[in-house]
Amino acid sequence: MNCRECVEHLYEFLDRELTPELEREIREHLEDCPPCGEQYDFEELFLKFLRARCKTQGAPAELKKRVLRELFGE
Amino acid sequence: MAESSPVPPASSPVPLDDKRASFEREALVHLDVLYRVALRLTGNPSDADDLVQETMLKAYRAWEQYEQGTNAKAWLLTILRHAFINEYRRRTRHPETVDVDTIEPFAVFSEVQDEDPQGAFFDKIVDDQVLQAIDQLPVAFRETLVLSDVEGMSYQEIASILQVPVGTVKSRLFRARQLLQGKLYDYAVEMGYIKGTPA
Repeated sequence: MNCRECVEHLYEFLDRELTPELEREIREHLEDCPPCGEQYDFEELFLKFLRARCKTQGAPAELKKRVLRELFGE
Repeated sequence: MAESSPVPPASSPVPLDDKRASFEREALVHLDVLYRVALRLTGNPSDADDLVQETMLKAYRAWEQYEQGTNAKAWLLTILRHAFINEYRRRTRHPETVDVDTIEPFAVFSEVQDEDPQGAFFDKIVDDQVLQAIDQLPVAFRETLVLSDVEGMSYQEIASILQVPVGTVKSRLFRARQLLQGKLYDYAVEMGYIKGTPA
């Protein structure tokens, strides 16, 4: 596993979408390679940041009422 | 209508109360997810309301076709996306002019690794600004990114909702994230949160 391959698979690694074998190779590479480790931390932080910024919004109460009214006549 | 649902077979009638109870239990609980995705697809609350409403109506009509206990969220999102494509994209007439699969990603990390390798500048960017940046992404990127990074769905689930191969999900997600990072980085430079040079 070289740095280019590691960076290429970084998102899949963060998303837990890799085969156990490839996951192990990436983990080993990250432990031995500080620059890739830094990039891993950066990308992980970015994904957490993204989720936190976007997840706060829910459906307005009025929409729920509207859906119930339309479906069940309430 | 593009997606008329076939009449359920007369041999398996579902009592109305049961149908309602199971729909409330398995479908209505996903209203927040549907709304968030609808809002990012349509770009405004009023169209998002209409899209969710339409999705719920279609889903309720087709409820007999849903296999209970399977992935209701993915099933609903598939209906929502079809409705979006059928109605809104045709109506707004904004055909995508960019071939998204040829957009070259830009690695923000390499720009900031000396000045801010921890990405502290992200923390200064508020919710609205992030949502605006997402809304500027091409729709094929936007839908992939929202399903993955906001709603936490797997590549396989996203592939089945968007009806594209898993490899396409993977590459779009990669590009979408890099493109979004680039936009946020540009904004952070503009606001003076980080020195850098705009991407």
